[in-house]
Amino acid sequence: MPALSFKFSESTTGFLKITPESRLILTLVASIFSLFFGQIVPLAILLLVTAVYISLEIRFRYIAIVYLFFAFIALTAVTFVWLLGFVFTVMKDQPLSMAVIPFMRLSISINTIIPLAFNSKLSELISTLNKLRLPGLIKLPLIITIRFIPTFINDLKQLRQAVRIRFRGVSGYGFWVLRPFLWSRVFFMPLVVRLIRSTDELALATELKGLSAETDFGAQRLIFGPTDKIVLALASIAVSVSFIIENLHAHG
Amino acid sequence: MASIRAFLNGRGFFETSDLVTIGLFSAMTKASTLILALAGGGMNPVTLLLRSAVHAALLMVLLAKVPKTGVLTLFNIVGSLLAFFLMGQAMLALPTIIVGTLAVELLVRALGGLEKHPGLGILAVAASELFSRAANIGLAYLGVREQPGLLVMVVVISAFSYLGILIGLAGGIRMIKELRHAGLIV
Repeated sequence: MPALSFKFSESTTGFLKITPESRLILTLVASIFSLFFGQIVPLAILLLVTAVYISLEIRFRYIAIVYLFFAFIALTAVTFVWLLGFVFTVMKDQPLSMAVIPFMRLSISINTIIPLAFNSKLSELISTLNKLRLPGLIKLPLIITIRFIPTFINDLKQLRQAVRIRFRGVSGYGFWVLRPFLWSRVFFMPLVVRLIRSTDELALATELKGLSAETDFGAQRLIFGPTDKIVLALASIAVSVSFIIENLHAHG
Repeated sequence: MASIRAFLNGRGFFETSDLVTIGLFSAMTKASTLILALAGGGMNPVTLLLRSAVHAALLMVLLAKVPKTGVLTLFNIVGSLLAFFLMGQAMLALPTIIVGTLAVELLVRALGGLEKHPGLGILAVAASELFSRAANIGLAYLGVREQPGLLVMVVVISAFSYLGILIGLAGGIRMIKELRHAGLIV
């Protein structure tokens, strides 16, 4: 969602033109199979295939940024746990091949999530949700959520600026740690009031427009172009091959 | 069949305004999570605590605004589907989370329902968040089953963020009082 990743708006190579539906399918398939494979060879095949996929979709610079970001998060988490006094004995008594497997799984999912998250436009994603034929009970809140995240991010930024102007000097990063009650008064309360106001207004507007969970938002059929068919076919071949290898190893 | 479809479309059970409210609260939760993640750099313990506190407080306000059975389940379904667009595997914990949250909500219903006893919202949020954390730990175990040592990290982080949820519950109670006083929640 470029709206969420405003810095990554120029991340796409534009080389592989596939629909968000295909990206969604690839992400789901990769997540499920990477989780259930336990051998190194099938995981390596999936890793290679997804690496080719991400390098066709995303510019190298952005792939590097994403991987650095994930490494940073992992490092913070490890440091935090280490600080809490847990002795970290991960590598103990284990061959290196076993130690890398969780990281391979993580890389496989990153490789498929990033194209989905960065290269799908907000409007495309909403129309994809329409095509998926979810029940209206889920579809209506989901579409509203996706539509309003960028708006609320903007609201939050404005609130933060207001707090900075009003509390010059104290409103650093540690503001809420040092004065949590003041923080909740000047930041959190206005946020909630604003949220409830917009809830009431939007609910009224939706009802006046005659929209409800039963509204058909113009559901369309799933259409796959030639590129989608080729990519999905290659993906299913890769998954089948690794599935066969996984089972050969398991029984042999 | 027609009645099942009518139920799934929310006829007679959820009104449009309820669904809009759930959608907007979900959007606000995700937006504040994203802002805090950008500000604090991911898994930083301080932001982790704040993030879950905000999440729990918003959930409490949502339950006070729409006191119906099924609201929490819908909120979790929407949140998980959205997380799928951002974090892939989160989707696989969804069935467990749905079953867990629904069980909690039916329990609350059996105890008298949120309309009669608004205080049950605390129980509902606390229990359903516990369930979703358990489901995520289970999923994480599948991911790192060759190295159970890595799981310690996930468990510690989940426990820490649950601490944030408890703080948020206390904040939520205070906030609901203020919002009732201001007439923003009936």
